[in-house]
Amino acid sequence: MSARTPVTILTGFLGAGKTTLLNRILTEQHGRRIAVIENEFGEVGIDHELVVNTDEEIFEMNNGCICCTVRGDLIRILGRLMKRRDKFDRVLIETTGLADPGPVVQTFFMDDDMKEKFVVDAIVTVVDAKHILLHLDDSDEAREQIAFADVLLLNKCDLAEPAGVDGLERRLRGMNALAKIHRTTHGAVDLEKVLAVGGFNLDHAMELDPHFLDGETGDGHDHHHHHHDEEIASVGIEAGGDVDGRKLNAWLSELVRTKGQDIFRTKGVFALAGNPDRIIFQGVHMLIDGANGGPWGERPRMNRLVFIGRNLDREALNAGFRDCLA
Amino acid sequence: MELKQFAASTANDHVLGLSWSADGERLAAAPSEGPILVLNRQAALVGELSDHGLGNGAAVFHPDAGSLATCGTDGCVRLYDDVSPFARPVEISLGKGWIERLGWSPDGRHLATAIGKRLVILDAGGAPVCEFGPHKSSVCDFAWNPREPREITSVCDGGAHLWRLGHDAPFARFDWGGASLLAKWSPDGRWVVTGDQTPSVHLYDLTRDYPLHIQGYETKVKALAFNSASRKLATGGGKLVTLWTCTGKTGPEGTIPRQLQGHTGDCLALAYRPGSDWLASGGVDGRLILFEPDSSAQPRASQRLGSAVTCVAWHPRDPLLALGTEAGEIVLVEVA
Repeated sequence: MSARTPVTILTGFLGAGKTTLLNRILTEQHGRRIAVIENEFGEVGIDHELVVNTDEEIFEMNNGCICCTVRGDLIRILGRLMKRRDKFDRVLIETTGLADPGPVVQTFFMDDDMKEKFVVDAIVTVVDAKHILLHLDDSDEAREQIAFADVLLLNKCDLAEPAGVDGLERRLRGMNALAKIHRTTHGAVDLEKVLAVGGFNLDHAMELDPHFLDGETGDGHDHHHHHHDEEIASVGIEAGGDVDGRKLNAWLSELVRTKGQDIFRTKGVFALAGNPDRIIFQGVHMLIDGANGGPWGERPRMNRLVFIGRNLDREALNAGFRDCLA
Repeated sequence: MELKQFAASTANDHVLGLSWSADGERLAAAPSEGPILVLNRQAALVGELSDHGLGNGAAVFHPDAGSLATCGTDGCVRLYDDVSPFARPVEISLGKGWIERLGWSPDGRHLATAIGKRLVILDAGGAPVCEFGPHKSSVCDFAWNPREPREITSVCDGGAHLWRLGHDAPFARFDWGGASLLAKWSPDGRWVVTGDQTPSVHLYDLTRDYPLHIQGYETKVKALAFNSASRKLATGGGKLVTLWTCTGKTGPEGTIPRQLQGHTGDCLALAYRPGSDWLASGGVDGRLILFEPDSSAQPRASQRLGSAVTCVAWHPRDPLLALGTEAGEIVLVEVA
């Protein structure tokens, strides 16, 4: 497979500052040639030859299952752009403020042509630090955009009280333990932090906030201490000991089959019995992807697993994983 | 049987489509970017037509006259009465959006195109005739009824719609719920076939108002072709070319297809020679393969090109094939 073109998915609730960030990305001298797929109602407001407007078109692949939906407009537009001789280095997809990021991400996992030519680098969600609390409790879209993110940009920090931003960051961390959080004003952020994230790179699958899984080890207990959001939350599991691969496969398969619609992101690293190498994996809804992560080396053989989702049953997840230990 | 490459040219970019003029003396090539090329049958350049901004869509000769229609991502259709270096086209702007497909009606009186969710019908001079829609999603493809030049099918998310000029509502719909991306109408007017986003085809028997769903393809079906007699439907979804027999009361229902081998990469283009059962197939593996499926499932002849073969077009009369590649080659091959 030839080198795949990285894709950044830019989400954020209405008025969060996506367009400001997009303008910054397009005007900064970073040497990258970026194709921008912008939602039909957006307004980039600058002259950029590779900005393409589109209207979200959701294609169902399997009887309405949300885990099996893709964005038909992206398949058509990106498929066509990739036929140009004068190609581009990167794709940036701006979603509408009310978009579900799921079908956008799934497009690059479920469509063979997209999978062959593109790789998702990261989902970057811009959050209005002053106003997001008005939407978090009553907007599924706002919560899901946060849950899916690899990077959360707390924007407009200059307009919010510092203590309020601290509290917001704690709440977002409780919802999404995997995302890197950066505080910004007017979308000013080092572009490497949004354009070279490697959020779907399995090598980075377990680059977690080191405090997230702090605490006891070896018993498969949940060590999440910052739970503030009852509906969407992260559940982290850390356990020493080896895992029975057959049991783990059966458990994960059953879990994504029955709960996949509520599990937005999954990442994990496992020590399989009889295997000297780390097994790393990640998932989006029902789509899971695993790989050999190389030898454990000097690192302790420690299983680590994180789920981000809606109405996750912590006890059941812990019990299910404990049953997989060899 | 032997394939003899006797002429070539270059478009410098991915060739999206090729179209022969009715008299077989001109070949139009639409590259992804850059001017649309008009070649003679020795592949010599006889005309370069303006490109369509960010990218071209298609270039299609009129079925009887020498005029040519082109389109692209600038939302415009251009009609050229002649393709000389000084040609001045009629330009029709259909608004903001990409136009990727054009199709003349079999009698040459109408030109169909699609922009966004609209299927637009123009007359042969470029004047608007009507629009069909709205569709649930962008119109992905369309095909005229070869037997009834006032009927056309469009496909999009949801399935296929069948329209008749002069009527606002479709006279038939085949809603299967998923997205259809390609459309062909059999020469006898009986079958409408779609290639779908899922690795499948839907085949609609208009005589029985009956849909068939055919699954089991390795990939999305990217190429469809009926032979002139409408007896055979060739489908390309993966490395194998799968051949269905569309005869009898039930067509391919319950039958076992023939599978034609030879490609080592996905099949991208299929075309039956007019009036013959020679089937040309182009693939990601850079191979042009000629099959004669009635006698063998193996290639009768093949030729390797420098990059993926993206389109093939038979000369209207002679045993001559034009093919385009991902790298921009345009090659003329004679079947000897």
